[in-house]
Amino acid sequence: MLVNGFTPWLKPVYSAVDDLVRPLYWVASVPLRVQEWSANKATPRSEIEADNQRLLKESLVYHGQLQRMSDLAAENLRLRRLLNATELLQDNVLVTEVIGVSANPLRHTLTIDRGSRDGVFIGQPLLDAEGLMGQIIEVHERHSTALLITDSAHSLPVQVLRNGVRSIAEGTSDYNLLSLKFVSSTADIREGDKLVSSGLGGLYPVGYPVGTVTSIVSEAGENFLKIDVDPSAELDRSRHLLLLFTSRDSDSDTAK
Amino acid sequence: MESSNHGIAVSVTILLAVILSLMPLSGDWIVWKPNFLLLVMLAWVLRWPDEFGVFFSAAVGLLADIILRTAIGHSILIFALCGSIVILVGRWTKYLSPLQRMLMVAMILGLTGLLEAGVYMLYGRPSGIEQLPMKMVLSMLAWPIIERLVIRFAPRRG
Repeated sequence: MLVNGFTPWLKPVYSAVDDLVRPLYWVASVPLRVQEWSANKATPRSEIEADNQRLLKESLVYHGQLQRMSDLAAENLRLRRLLNATELLQDNVLVTEVIGVSANPLRHTLTIDRGSRDGVFIGQPLLDAEGLMGQIIEVHERHSTALLITDSAHSLPVQVLRNGVRSIAEGTSDYNLLSLKFVSSTADIREGDKLVSSGLGGLYPVGYPVGTVTSIVSEAGENFLKIDVDPSAELDRSRHLLLLFTSRDSDSDTAK
Repeated sequence: MESSNHGIAVSVTILLAVILSLMPLSGDWIVWKPNFLLLVMLAWVLRWPDEFGVFFSAAVGLLADIILRTAIGHSILIFALCGSIVILVGRWTKYLSPLQRMLMVAMILGLTGLLEAGVYMLYGRPSGIEQLPMKMVLSMLAWPIIERLVIRFAPRRG
């Protein structure tokens, strides 16, 4: 335990075992795949057509919003250049699928089907459709392991979207709970406030949704508030995720 | 001949336990999932206490450490402790009804769960003790299936 806790000597062992265990992850996810497949097969054609129509409409709305966003982004870039400010980072994404989850309920990790041959790197942020999921901690040739933001060993710099109050969101080993650290009892923070990544620390890019403040408790004699946050991402459900590739190249704004 | 048969049977049951452990679940089921490797190990030790002792328990614990990505030694200690308890009480278990055996397994899991949670708390880490009762109940419900599987794979001689 000491060797494992204080030295990286056992990492090659874990890495080798990961490669061996990977086919078992696939086998273990067969029931889930069968369930998805049967759910798809059991869906009536009329429902699929209705879904298709709804998705087409949603796609049209999002495309319209994207055009507006592109215009605003270009204007923002021009204004930042006028102010000699640093350029905003551009994010490319790569779609990935979850092929395994940690069997240890107190360790929140995922195995995804992208590895070094897809350009995945250690520290790379991972998102789902709703918000930040975590970061890559191990990369293999064809798969990688990501540490989720709810793992008790994970901390993430965040800010309140409403007023920019900064804090650190720590994992609690509960998939539905983050804890905010070092928020003074006089800070302007309320229940329902949205939190986004602050970009401090340089690991996560700025502005991605992290969660919503659900409860604030001020305990007598404590310098800081006890704040609970409900994560935005569906950490225990999402199967299709996005790997974020951040670059300073402002022309490349398309998804891979 | 007998022991090689057991080798295959043990490997198959442990492989099944590993697959069940790795099976992705969502919601509360993630933290309520029984420790299938521990249950399979207990079933083998209960069935053949002369062949599968503390070393076998520790070996399955090592496998659990590697699969579950816990610190090497963590599951080894827990599995060896569970194996030792089962060996100690093993001589009386043949007089127990299936329901009593289920309760005994739940008690052993509860005891080791409390010990594990205590160690986590000592290090200031989340212990997951709130989930322990539900985990015990689900492990208890899974036990007869695992026990039956082990009996089917390795019927007792005589």
